[in-house]
Amino acid sequence: MQILLSILIAALVSGSLYALVAAGLSLVWGTLGVFNFAQGALLMIGAYVAYYFGGKALGRSGLLFGLPTGLIMLGLLGVVLYFLLVRPFVGSPTGELSVIIATLAASTFLENGAQQFFGATFRKLPPVLTGHLSISGNSVDWQQVIIIVVAPVILLGLAAFLKYTKTGFAVRAVAQNEQSALLLGIPVSRIYMFVFFVASLLAALAGILFGGQFFVTPSMGGDLMLQAFIVVVFGGLGSLTGTVMAAYIVGLITAASNYYIGLFWTPAVLFAFLFIAVIVRPSGLVASNK
Amino acid sequence: MKQLSWRRASVALAVILVVVLLPLAVTSTYYRNILIVGLLYAVVASSWDLTLGYAGVFNFAQVATFGIGAYATGILALRGVPPIIAMLLAVMLGVAFNGLVAIPVLRLRGVYVALLTFGAAQLVGSVALGWTSVTGGSTGLVLVPDLVVGQFDFNFSPVAYVYLSEGLLVVTLAFLHWLVRSPFGLSLLAGRDAEDYAASRGVPLGRQRVLALAIGAVFAAASGAVFAMYLSSASPTIFGFSTATLVLSMVLVGGAGTVYGPAMAAVILTVLQNTRQVAGLGPVTFMIIAVLIVLVLRFLPGGLWDFTKRGSRGRRQVAVGR
Repeated sequence: MQILLSILIAALVSGSLYALVAAGLSLVWGTLGVFNFAQGALLMIGAYVAYYFGGKALGRSGLLFGLPTGLIMLGLLGVVLYFLLVRPFVGSPTGELSVIIATLAASTFLENGAQQFFGATFRKLPPVLTGHLSISGNSVDWQQVIIIVVAPVILLGLAAFLKYTKTGFAVRAVAQNEQSALLLGIPVSRIYMFVFFVASLLAALAGILFGGQFFVTPSMGGDLMLQAFIVVVFGGLGSLTGTVMAAYIVGLITAASNYYIGLFWTPAVLFAFLFIAVIVRPSGLVASNK
Repeated sequence: MKQLSWRRASVALAVILVVVLLPLAVTSTYYRNILIVGLLYAVVASSWDLTLGYAGVFNFAQVATFGIGAYATGILALRGVPPIIAMLLAVMLGVAFNGLVAIPVLRLRGVYVALLTFGAAQLVGSVALGWTSVTGGSTGLVLVPDLVVGQFDFNFSPVAYVYLSEGLLVVTLAFLHWLVRSPFGLSLLAGRDAEDYAASRGVPLGRQRVLALAIGAVFAAASGAVFAMYLSSASPTIFGFSTATLVLSMVLVGGAGTVYGPAMAAVILTVLQNTRQVAGLGPVTFMIIAVLIVLVLRFLPGGLWDFTKRGSRGRRQVAVGR
């Protein structure tokens, strides 16, 4: 029982982080039809911004300043990336591959930049809440509770936003049919910018939460990014529901495999799982319309 | 017609002269090392072009295949398998890896292929790092035995590896030159540019793509095998993000869909990257390479090869994945 509970908690923590990262990828894909390979690097930069703008000097109270700064600065960085690396290629016949390669290059740029300017040393962000509580003999960090609670709340908020607000309508309209959206007077280009802002913000949030529980390093984005890839291929890009469901399933598999099979074999287990999932259901858990 | 054959003969003569004289002209060990690495990367980059440029398969496992070639050669040779046999087995393993990756790839398209092959490459990297008892973990493989053929020890001759990697590159380029002009190569282009039409005309797209992956893998793994033999070692940095980006930049800067462009860019970029001024920059080198990739994508989508050829012949422009 105790073991199952601790696996479940680990599954929910990783599932929540994967969901935040993958939701951004899925949102961008659903709206623009491009894939952002720099999402993992954005996550890492978000954690560093929060670290340098508060967390480092001021401790936990510094996070009050570091967290919003990290989120907003990363949102803006997402918009910059959109203008530099995505906008020039969207709609061209080779656009899909060009954006993959351009964002991959951005990822290399940011990761090596972090290596150069922040150093390879492990850093740690202060957790949002310190201490831990105990659930039937299991000790659970409050930070873990925060991660488990915050991610679904944010993602539900995002879903509600897309469903009920005017901007949300506009995002969905662009996702469904860009040409008609344009004819209706929806500023498509501004919607694209907005989507990149939101996706990068989600990545930064995942990075800051991750950094409070684990470590901040220039390569921290890589692992989470790989898990997010598995999540989106499994869940089907463009469907937020599918992505979030897949994120928790992949989180559960990761946690169970870490415990029963061993940390080292987990990537292989995940890949084997993905391999089978793709053969059985190539369009993802929830088939998308793009 | 006569003019054409003159042209061919002079190109062939020039190639032979360069191949024979280059190793003798480059006498410094330092530059010879850069040259060998550049030639081996050229093999990986030009064969990557087959899937990425010609077949339009978003394959991101090419550098991992190179790494598999290197590691498998090293591991087998360290366990007493004769180097030549180890190299051959490594090539087979590289092809098998691509065959395995091809199974899900055939069921996917576009970005999903990129994600899956990327994931497969990362997986190989994590195995190389984690399976310490076999791969040496983060240290990698060291003290791989020399490549000895008959009485001749390649690792004792200053020029042997230059000739070997030159030979491999010439074979690769000649084969790819022929292949992309053959009906098989044309069917790859057809599948890339007009998938539905090609399928309706009876092109077995799945089979052609698997073959493209397998053929690309042969050269990448062979290059990796020579690489491990030459360095007498293999390091897990082969599987790193940076190496993949570097080789990808060779394909793009040279020009995807041109075969020769990536090879040319591989040699140029390796030389540039290893000049003393640049090598001291550390991570900044890769930042520069990243900027270079984006600039080429944006302003020179056909790559350098296309740029140098522009106007001289009315050749059909073949850009990335079109």
